[in-house]
Amino acid sequence: MIDQIVSKYNYWIYIVLMMIGFYAMIGKKNLVKKIIGINIFQTAIILFFVSTAAKRGGTLPIIEHAHGHGAQSVHAATYINPLPHVLMLTAIVVMVSTLGVALAIVIDVYRRYETLEEDEILKLRR
Amino acid sequence: MINQSPVLVVVIPLIAAFLTLLLGWWKKGLCYPIAVLALALSFLSSLQTLHTVVTNGTISYHLGSWPPPWGIEYVIDHLNAYVLVIVSLVSLIVAVYSKRSIEQELPEKIVYFYCIFLLQVTGLLGIVITGDMFNLYVFLEIASLAGYALIAVGEDGAPFASLNYVIFGTIGACFYLLGVGYLYISTGSLNMADLAQVLPDLYQSKVVLVAFAFFMVGLSLKMALFPLHVWLPDAYTYAPSTVSGLLAPLMTKVGAYVMIRVLFTVFKPDFSIELIPATAILGWMAAGAILFGAVLALAQTDLKRMLAYILVSEVGYIALGVGLANRNGLTGAILHILNDSFMILALFLVVGAIMYRHGNREIPQLRYLHRKMPFTMAAFVIAALSVIGIPPTCGFFSKWYLILGAIDADQWVFVAVLLISSLLSVILFFRVIEHAYLEPEEEHAGEASESAIAIEEAPLSMLVPIFVAAAGIMVFGVFSGKIISTVIQFAVPGYF
Amino acid sequence: MRVLALLTVILTGILLCFGTQDMPDWGDPNSPASTHVSPRYLEKSLEETATPNVVTSVLADYRGYDTLGETTVIFTAGVSCILILRKRRRKKAQDD
Repeated sequence: MIDQIVSKYNYWIYIVLMMIGFYAMIGKKNLVKKIIGINIFQTAIILFFVSTAAKRGGTLPIIEHAHGHGAQSVHAATYINPLPHVLMLTAIVVMVSTLGVALAIVIDVYRRYETLEEDEILKLRR
Repeated sequence: MINQSPVLVVVIPLIAAFLTLLLGWWKKGLCYPIAVLALALSFLSSLQTLHTVVTNGTISYHLGSWPPPWGIEYVIDHLNAYVLVIVSLVSLIVAVYSKRSIEQELPEKIVYFYCIFLLQVTGLLGIVITGDMFNLYVFLEIASLAGYALIAVGEDGAPFASLNYVIFGTIGACFYLLGVGYLYISTGSLNMADLAQVLPDLYQSKVVLVAFAFFMVGLSLKMALFPLHVWLPDAYTYAPSTVSGLLAPLMTKVGAYVMIRVLFTVFKPDFSIELIPATAILGWMAAGAILFGAVLALAQTDLKRMLAYILVSEVGYIALGVGLANRNGLTGAILHILNDSFMILALFLVVGAIMYRHGNREIPQLRYLHRKMPFTMAAFVIAALSVIGIPPTCGFFSKWYLILGAIDADQWVFVAVLLISSLLSVILFFRVIEHAYLEPEEEHAGEASESAIAIEEAPLSMLVPIFVAAAGIMVFGVFSGKIISTVIQFAVPGYF
Repeated sequence: MRVLALLTVILTGILLCFGTQDMPDWGDPNSPASTHVSPRYLEKSLEETATPNVVTSVLADYRGYDTLGETTVIFTAGVSCILILRKRRRKKAQDD
């Protein structure tokens, strides 16, 4: 049990963060709090992906002293995995774009209903 | 050019979106021709792709010439090419339809509307054609963002409905991304074909099981499968007419396509059917969707909202076909993707035309419509017959295969559900047709003579697409045998 | 409603934690993610793409299409914001 926790505690931390964001998305009534929840949820997923790239003893995936040296043998085990970082660059951009569009829609809702609480808006819509 | 047709299908609308924005700032009238031209070219490319797949077999297109799994790959087999043609054809029809409707509903936003319209179609085409899991997520987000924006510019109540869709859609996309992450951490690969090879050794792993669960929940959210459909009625009712015409037929079908891919190509059928009862659960959810959609549609007075609930029911049919997990059921499901796209397209375009002319969609207000808009209502009747399932409209054939599949699987409850839903559809559409076609004699005797009710038919640019959709319903019904033997027979995975 | 949300969140969290049991340990150099596809990116990046920064070479060359998709996402978000926030001048003039 203890070695399970020691070796996998990072995943549990990300899952706790994800669930905080998820609860904010579906449990809160204020529209801006829901959007903050989206942001936390997606950030936790990004952290989870990036953590799959880590390698004990590995360094950044930039090959040093590379220019002018031609083909040299590169040991993949000394560099961390670059692929999740690449995927998450895209995912961060997607996250920010979703945040932008969601906030634009919230501005539109506020212009119409003058409130940001979901239950008040539902009452005004009836 | 012919070799590049897979990527042209996606790239032409993308470039056209940029062009629309640039040229539209210069002259607003250029947006509509550019959009229609781009979607026509994309449709031709997709037809070419379908032709190549039918004659030569599966196409594998390496983007950037990097071999998979190190590069991104487009894999186009029969199922792919079929859905690609459907998506591009439906978007072309809606684009032709959109001119007058958008001029009336969104007059000052035409340039931006067409730009986002083309981006939405790009996203949908990109989802269908790709063979890489993360590429699918990127294009899923393009389609989703464009969808949120398109729905939010509708009538009163649209922004709030769109915000609800944002929350649910983001949960769906994030669950899909979590599934991809869990698969990546256990296999190290993102390519669908590669995953299909590597995963069978890992079926006992808990990571793979949780990944599968998250895929199913996330895709059900995107597909609006009961009970995760709650965002759909509000979103598609308050959206502009063109947007409902575009998103209602396509978004749910593309979600269903992704679900079939994940269930049967990435995870082999023996995992999805035997190891975990995923298809059984899917079947029961689908039965719930069919009944729930039909029953709730009965309670609506707004015609568009009634159609949105019928859409929930139709998604149930496709999911039921997948859930039956035999050859007839899957044939019915895949055929229903085509049939349902055209039925829902025709229905929503008709409602858009009614909205354009009368500004009112309440069912009791539909009186004398058969005199004012005879051709539009004729198309509505054809689409209604197809939803009910009367030959030779296409709806009959897909229901036939679904019933055959249910009988093959010994699931008599599902047969009963399918028949009851046909009955409920008869009641639903009879209500509308009664208001539109039969005139109440006592009220207007002597007032409304034949000549007083002029024909206020929808304009030609809206009428022709409605005709094409209705004609498509009849043509696909008559030729459904040919469609099945040429395309769908090979689209069903070989396990069945 | 809040109880339902809390229940959903707890169930999802338990499901996710259940899934972490078979995951490779943090920083394991022999995990499938580190040994299946990415060694080629690290080893061949210099000779195939002449870029020492492997993240750049994967982003711009091996998986450049995803970067095209990402730029399209930003573009979509930008134009969507204009589409949503642009005021309907005609309707406002009618209201006044």
